[in-house]
Amino acid sequence: MIEVERLRKSFVDLTAVDGVSFTARPGEIFGLLGPNGAGKTTTIGCISGLLTPTAGRVRVMGHDVVRDGRAARQALGVVPQEIALYEDLSALENLSYWGGAQGMRNPLLRDRIAKVLEITGLQDRAREPVKRFSGGMKRRLNLACGIVHQPRVLLLDEPTVGVDPQSRMRLLELIRAEARAGVCVLYTTHYMEEAETLCDRLAIVDHGKVIAAGDLAQLRSMLAERDLLRLSGVFHPAAARAALERIGAIEVLQADEGLLILSLAGASGKLPSIFAALAACGADVRGTTLTQPSLESLFIKLTGKELRE
Amino acid sequence: MRFVWIAALKELRCLRRDPFSVLTWMGIPLSIALLIHLIFGGGQAVPQGRLLVADEDNTIVSDMLTSAFGRDPLGKMLTVEKVDAPAGRARIDRGDGSAFLLIPKGLQDAFLRNQPFRIQLFSNPSQRILPKMVEETLLIMTDGAFYIQKVAAGELRPFDSGRSPSDDAIAQRSVDIRHLVTGLNKYLSPPLIELETTVVVEKQRNVTRPSFYFPSMIFMGLLLMAGGFASEAWKERTFHTLRRLAATPAPLASFLAGRLAAVALLYFAVAALGVATLRWLAPGEVSHPLAAVVWAALSGTAFFLLMLPVSMSASSQRAAQVLGNLVIFPLALVGGCFFPLEIAPAWMASIGRLTPNGWAVTQFKAILSGSLRPAHLAVAMGGLVAVGILAFLLALRSLRRGLLA
Repeated sequence: MIEVERLRKSFVDLTAVDGVSFTARPGEIFGLLGPNGAGKTTTIGCISGLLTPTAGRVRVMGHDVVRDGRAARQALGVVPQEIALYEDLSALENLSYWGGAQGMRNPLLRDRIAKVLEITGLQDRAREPVKRFSGGMKRRLNLACGIVHQPRVLLLDEPTVGVDPQSRMRLLELIRAEARAGVCVLYTTHYMEEAETLCDRLAIVDHGKVIAAGDLAQLRSMLAERDLLRLSGVFHPAAARAALERIGAIEVLQADEGLLILSLAGASGKLPSIFAALAACGADVRGTTLTQPSLESLFIKLTGKELRE
Repeated sequence: MRFVWIAALKELRCLRRDPFSVLTWMGIPLSIALLIHLIFGGGQAVPQGRLLVADEDNTIVSDMLTSAFGRDPLGKMLTVEKVDAPAGRARIDRGDGSAFLLIPKGLQDAFLRNQPFRIQLFSNPSQRILPKMVEETLLIMTDGAFYIQKVAAGELRPFDSGRSPSDDAIAQRSVDIRHLVTGLNKYLSPPLIELETTVVVEKQRNVTRPSFYFPSMIFMGLLLMAGGFASEAWKERTFHTLRRLAATPAPLASFLAGRLAAVALLYFAVAALGVATLRWLAPGEVSHPLAAVVWAALSGTAFFLLMLPVSMSASSQRAAQVLGNLVIFPLALVGGCFFPLEIAPAWMASIGRLTPNGWAVTQFKAILSGSLRPAHLAVAMGGLVAVGILAFLLALRSLRRGLLA
């Protein structure tokens, strides 16, 4: 279990995490969703003991990460965003080293290495130097090094960045298996689809703050089943906003000279009237995207910007 | 404690997979040492030259003059070749020979009659040492002849008859000269003044001797390795393994200790190889090989620890290498690792001995020569260990700071 209470982390000229609170339970995949620079990695750094919180409290399996850091770290498995491996060593040697760093000894370590090599599909390449591995294989080994010691809490910091779809599917399946085995998984990502398909509960963070939290159903209800309509072209923002508001039941989330983002129920049925209103005020619509209610549309609704910005 | 060995094993495995870096660090000083050895041949360099002599007098006195150049030590440096005057002059004009000595007819005659006489020496301007030696030797001999003339002209004059003297005449003149020398003895050696002369033979510095330059080369290798190992530590940051390690229960101090153990082991092997090579190159000039190996290995390990904070303070691995070189090369130059401190200017040598490597290489040479007493060696070792502990703490701090960078 991970308990984060009013966590704050400030650097000299920046507050990266500002009052973040959440709880992740055993057997659950808890997602931290947010754009780059939102404070996800800093939050992971504070939980793993790499960074000392400026304020607030973090506990891992009941152990305070500042006061009882060693016990907290014994329960943790960390899979960093970057591939943190020794490229000159083989997969076997890497697993042996990271298992040793977690205090594991033979023969248990040997058995676990064999097991994780099997589940990550790397047993045939176990004795090869990692520098000969593909990107996907390195990602799998990166995960294997984080779970070799059977942690009760697993921190995964964007583990699928730059991975091909096939390897991504395999990684996600491995993570689900860990959760099914009772491991508490904290998963950070900026991929909406990944968060939607993988996570049981989510916290959406931006500028170091949690702006929404709950399970998928709770988060979707915040959108009230409204679609997201994105129109690109040439607009007079004030005139367009006025014209659209006259139609009624349309919420203008963003209006600038090149882009309009609207939130509305039953958007497909209202498209003709929207186009007519915009044409009447001199707008030139060149592209239209209609999105069903999703985490992405929620994020845009909450922050007024796209997640990948 | 167990993780120390796990980390050390990991380091050694990484080094085994990339042995070229270590070979490169050791290769530079070894190449320099080999070049010095090949160029100077490891022995005494003796200049060789040719003295052309045209002896037109061809008498006992002229013979005595020219035979002086055939005796040691000049005989080892000069080959005396008899030529006639025109040939000798032509050859020295062409630069063929170190000098040309022309002894005109009448030398013995003038010497016995105590009359002025001129002999001529033509030297080769493209050579400096040998012509000067010939000139100085001739000056000494002409001075000697002058004093012989002053004290024994009367005894020598009867030989100036143009004929070979009889055996009786030679015996009689010998007795006369002996009496003359005995008579002069009381003036030459006044009994109340006794002069004791001690000839001090200066210990020759031979820069071509392996025991002179090789220790510096060993320490240059140790310094380069220290810089290399320290910048290698940057890889832990580049590959994010240091941050990952910080999220495990393994203490960072154990990780550093493991790395240190691996580095020390490698230093031990390199130092042993260096000292063994020195023993082979200079048999009998390595007094305490084991102490020398331990000292070199400890020194190298301390250099690594001192270089680690320097490396970790850089903003990238590339910058760490540049910064390391900026520290190492001046240190090597001033601290007697490029060339021995003994041949450096006095002011530079005194500064050099204050540098960590200068101090270490000075102690190392003292251990090799056997001039460092056990008590002093123990104190020096203690000092080195103390510096090592301090450097370890500094390096640990720099690693922790590196985690946040």
